[in-house]
Amino acid sequence: MGWEERQVRGYAEFVRTAQSYHGRPIFALFCGDKDAEGRSWCPDCVTAEPVVRKELHNLPDESVFIYCLVGDRAYWKDPNNEFRKNLKLTGVPTLLKYGTPQKLVEEECFKAELVRMLFTED
Amino acid sequence: QEAAKYGKKVMVVDFVTPTPQGSSWGLGGTCVNVGCIPKKLMHQAALLGQALQDARKFGWHFTEEVKHNWMTMTESVQNYIGSLNWGYRVALRDSKVTYENAYGEFVGPHTIKATNKKGIEKLYTAERFIIATGERPRYLGVPGDKEYCISSDDIFSLPYCPGKTLVVGASYVALECAGFLAGLGLDVTVMVRSILLRGFDQDMANRIGEYMKEHGVNFIRQFVPIKVEQVEEGTPGILKVTAKSTTGDQIIEGEYNTVLLAIGRDPCTRKIGLDKVGVNINEKTGKIPVNDEEQTNVPYIYAIGDILQDKLELTPVAIQAGRLLVRRLYAGAAAKCDYVNVPTTVFTPLEYGACGYSEETAVEKFGEENIEVYHSHFWPLEWTVPSRDNNKCYAKIICNIQDNERVIGFHVLGPNAGEVTQGFAAAMKCGLTKEQLDSTVGIHPVCAEV
Repeated sequence: MGWEERQVRGYAEFVRTAQSYHGRPIFALFCGDKDAEGRSWCPDCVTAEPVVRKELHNLPDESVFIYCLVGDRAYWKDPNNEFRKNLKLTGVPTLLKYGTPQKLVEEECFKAELVRMLFTED
Repeated sequence: QEAAKYGKKVMVVDFVTPTPQGSSWGLGGTCVNVGCIPKKLMHQAALLGQALQDARKFGWHFTEEVKHNWMTMTESVQNYIGSLNWGYRVALRDSKVTYENAYGEFVGPHTIKATNKKGIEKLYTAERFIIATGERPRYLGVPGDKEYCISSDDIFSLPYCPGKTLVVGASYVALECAGFLAGLGLDVTVMVRSILLRGFDQDMANRIGEYMKEHGVNFIRQFVPIKVEQVEEGTPGILKVTAKSTTGDQIIEGEYNTVLLAIGRDPCTRKIGLDKVGVNINEKTGKIPVNDEEQTNVPYIYAIGDILQDKLELTPVAIQAGRLLVRRLYAGAAAKCDYVNVPTTVFTPLEYGACGYSEETAVEKFGEENIEVYHSHFWPLEWTVPSRDNNKCYAKIICNIQDNERVIGFHVLGPNAGEVTQGFAAAMKCGLTKEQLDSTVGIHPVCAEV
């Protein structure tokens, strides 16, 4: 069946989407919002996205890749935002395997080797 | 990781053979998965239970009864361990160290065979090898032990509350587990064959036992189990334990939900092909003798950690030995691992920190007339208001009269013993004497000022 991608914005939409795929492996990439020209306020996210996209073909069959925009810079900087509080995210970009402690944060997302390891290994 | 830093091509081969109950775990060894880390977290859970009781005396009011949920605690602990396992894999991959989750064994000179959980075998050769396979819990060798009993390998991920528990053993593993289980409100009994905490200062060991007894842990002394039977299946079920006295013919029986064996750990050195490459091991204990550079009798094979003969079984010691070994091999360093004055802490309900000689060993080595012991009870300020024991916390130092009253043994029994001991260990490494200790002004009000 291969893998599929969903694009969401904000915490509520993320949770709804993740829950709808309950039972399948879910990988998520969290990035800062993009402006009208498609550029994110988060420079590390701009670097990480192409690296992650290049490794997507390694995703296991049946899995779901959720690309989630978290919000604008002010929202992200708020220490009480829902992503920080509920998902325990500490930075963007964050690439994680939902429901496990496996994640890559910030510069770790720049490394194709690590992204591949997250996607392909137990 | 250290070797990779120096440009060597490195592989780590790690595999966990599941326990008889089916428990297994990820990368990181005993400490991270079924030792220090989950132990300390569960010990903390028990301490928090005590703190909640004390809180009322300090003015906190809570109307609901305070209860403990085993599953909530275990899930949180396992989640944290999972993040550590992942962290190590990221670190290894980042340092370009190859990690194979496979069972490694020697098949010939410079060659190992690695078998993964699907049974697929691969051969690898290398210039040098470091064996760090650690130990696993020992079983009793009586009927029903492997079928019905659990060990420390199982307790930290047990998917149900253990209930009324019999802990067999008197090692620090046994007492620490008995301690936190009792602290979480469970009915706990410890069955001891002879003495508590063999190898530790016996005066301190007995104080720990007394404290645990006064705080609800039952002790059955001088008995060993001879049979374990299942009365009822379940999670947990009901087990019947038959035990025989070590001093006579008396037989006793008891029923428990869970039986936790903590009677010792055996090195994982017998099934890794050491005979194929000629590495000597102590046939009786399974331990590997090494020289002071951690080298076995085979020059290209080294060993570190709990499997070493006559060395301390502690995580930081193994880590230090490993790092220094690699620096000696590849960075031209000369420093060897210092096994003297290594501090340690036992996380029983009343914590015990120690560094250096026990009183017995000091007397044996230096003679009773050449050592002086200074000691004191103390009452932590935090225990005064909730009216907790006022004569249980205790500290003593053992000094060598012939060497300027140098402090050769430090022992403290009280809260945060580990934190207290660390600083004193550094001082002892610098050659601390009684006079220097006396002239150090104390911090007030803390336990360590004693």
